[in-house]
Amino acid sequence: MSDVRTESGAPTRAPADPPQHEPPLQAGRRPTAGDMARRFLTLREGSIVVVTVLAAIYFAVQNDRFFTQANFENLLPYFAPFAILAAGEVLLMVAGEIDLSIGSVYLFAPFMFYEFNQAGIPLIPCLILALLCCAVVGIINGVFTEIIGVSSFITTLGMLLGLGGLTLIISHAQPVAMPGAEVTSKTVNVTHVVNGQTVTLPEKVNEIGTFARIFGGGIYSELIWALVIVVAVQVLLTLTRWGMYTIAVGGNKHGAAEAGINVRVTVIRNFIVCSVFAGFVGVLEAVRASSVTPDTAGASETMFRAVSAAVIGGTLLAGGEGTAVGALFGALFLGILRDGLTLEGVNADYLDFILGVAILFAMVVNVYVGRVRKGSGRG
Amino acid sequence: MADDRVIQPDAARASDDVLRVEHVAKRFGPVTALRDINLHLRKGEVLGLLGDNGAGKSTLMKIISGFQKPDEGRIVVKGEETELRSVDHARSLGVDCVYQDLALINELSVYHNMFLKREKLLRPLPLLANRAMKREARAALDQIGVNVPRLDVPVARLSGGQRQAIAVARTVNSDADIILLDEPLAAMGAKEGAMILDLVARLRAEGRVSIIMIAHNYVHVLQSCDRVNLIQDGEITFDRPTAETSVEELNEIVVEEYRRARMAANGSEGRG
Repeated sequence: MSDVRTESGAPTRAPADPPQHEPPLQAGRRPTAGDMARRFLTLREGSIVVVTVLAAIYFAVQNDRFFTQANFENLLPYFAPFAILAAGEVLLMVAGEIDLSIGSVYLFAPFMFYEFNQAGIPLIPCLILALLCCAVVGIINGVFTEIIGVSSFITTLGMLLGLGGLTLIISHAQPVAMPGAEVTSKTVNVTHVVNGQTVTLPEKVNEIGTFARIFGGGIYSELIWALVIVVAVQVLLTLTRWGMYTIAVGGNKHGAAEAGINVRVTVIRNFIVCSVFAGFVGVLEAVRASSVTPDTAGASETMFRAVSAAVIGGTLLAGGEGTAVGALFGALFLGILRDGLTLEGVNADYLDFILGVAILFAMVVNVYVGRVRKGSGRG
Repeated sequence: MADDRVIQPDAARASDDVLRVEHVAKRFGPVTALRDINLHLRKGEVLGLLGDNGAGKSTLMKIISGFQKPDEGRIVVKGEETELRSVDHARSLGVDCVYQDLALINELSVYHNMFLKREKLLRPLPLLANRAMKREARAALDQIGVNVPRLDVPVARLSGGQRQAIAVARTVNSDADIILLDEPLAAMGAKEGAMILDLVARLRAEGRVSIIMIAHNYVHVLQSCDRVNLIQDGEITFDRPTAETSVEELNEIVVEEYRRARMAANGSEGRG
């Protein structure tokens, strides 16, 4: 806790004396604890990590049911799917574009999965085919944006509506049971000892298949997928050519082209990845719920939450900067707020209002810390 | 333009040309940027390209570096006529350009910028070999004499002169042997400018690379270049070795052009 206090104290000092804090050559000066704290806080994802930890501490103090395994499991679906969606969105936002259609792709993929399965195709090939359909959506988004020159906001807004509509047509606006997620129950005889007497009673045990356990049905399935994907995107962004070109295109499109980077390929492949992630989350969520309803309004809200998670996490809408780890924490922050406020018994009518205020607050902190970060380098 | 200074392309032909631009024209919609450009560059030569703003210098650089395609004319690189398909293609032929806007990515670190499109990888992994790139970037900058304290900061934090130096170092440090410098002294202070001029002088002495340099300062051009071309209104109107011309002559040509343009403008106003 004392750490947190020194960290939050640091930025107020920083703007006044950045030149002394960071001389051009830092050789020979051992960084003090304050320096380290400041450096952490001015990391792109530093502020959201601190805000998330503070939110968790607040709810833990307020409510002793917050830090329990049961609540952690409750929290997972509030954030893991959004972390994956946000990671894809980060990739695209760093390239200076945005994808609003992920909401509909998220809805579209499980229905395609269902349709392929109805045609008699096994589960894994169904998943691959459904994700290929999502990749095609990504290619269409990319071609409209990069080659025809429609802004990505408009392209993907059209795709959001159009694909949502297509999903309604395919599904006849009816919910379907997700193949592979069937719950099989069997009756087992369990022996209890009651008051010294052994009693054997039949009990129902529910089971799900291996496919479902891996792809969304298992308690930690989505969390593991989220962590794997976030780490993969973070590595892609920071340690590979793909990421470097993505930053270059988002930061200075004209300059990137002059340097010889193929801007179209760079942007279109990020559209594809973003779409495929969205489709994948759609299937995970459908398997978790074991059924899927063509709810286009809900799909849009999912998209907005994913975009908020990315932005709160420290990714710029303008492009050139972003972090998947930040997006994970952004999603976690939103999840903790939702879960914590629900635990507190906050009236559902107030929930979105408080969430909205919290998002604005988190963004103000981000903007402020961002300014400190940019300023700290001068000298 | 019935001027006695107009250069006939065949008259200037030389066997050791590494680059020839013949009858190149480029239009952007109704605007004609290049009318009929004929230019050649000998091996090891430093060619100064002068011209007013809007005369077409930068467009010409972009065509030679493969960034834009000409509407007409042909380009011969090292004896072979080539249709430059892309920046990458031009670079594979040894042609590289330091653009006027530098083509630096503010968000990327100094060494990532220096190795943009020439990244080193940790083979067989597809990961960036950051340490090796940082080391080589440092060596390259030291060789030029650029003082950049830290290479892992975004280039956004550097001064205009440092940014310019990094853009020049990036190109000089590549495999290119035909180097185009589009106003390399633009954002430079006197000291940094001198550093770039020193670098050009060194490259000129070595004779390995051939350079086309756009500059506004006649003194710099006369001092650094072997030959000077003047581009006016989309055509090369003057081509002479620097030894055979002077600041006064260059000034006179430009002032004369200005007067002519003024008179033409007044004339059209009078008619309107």
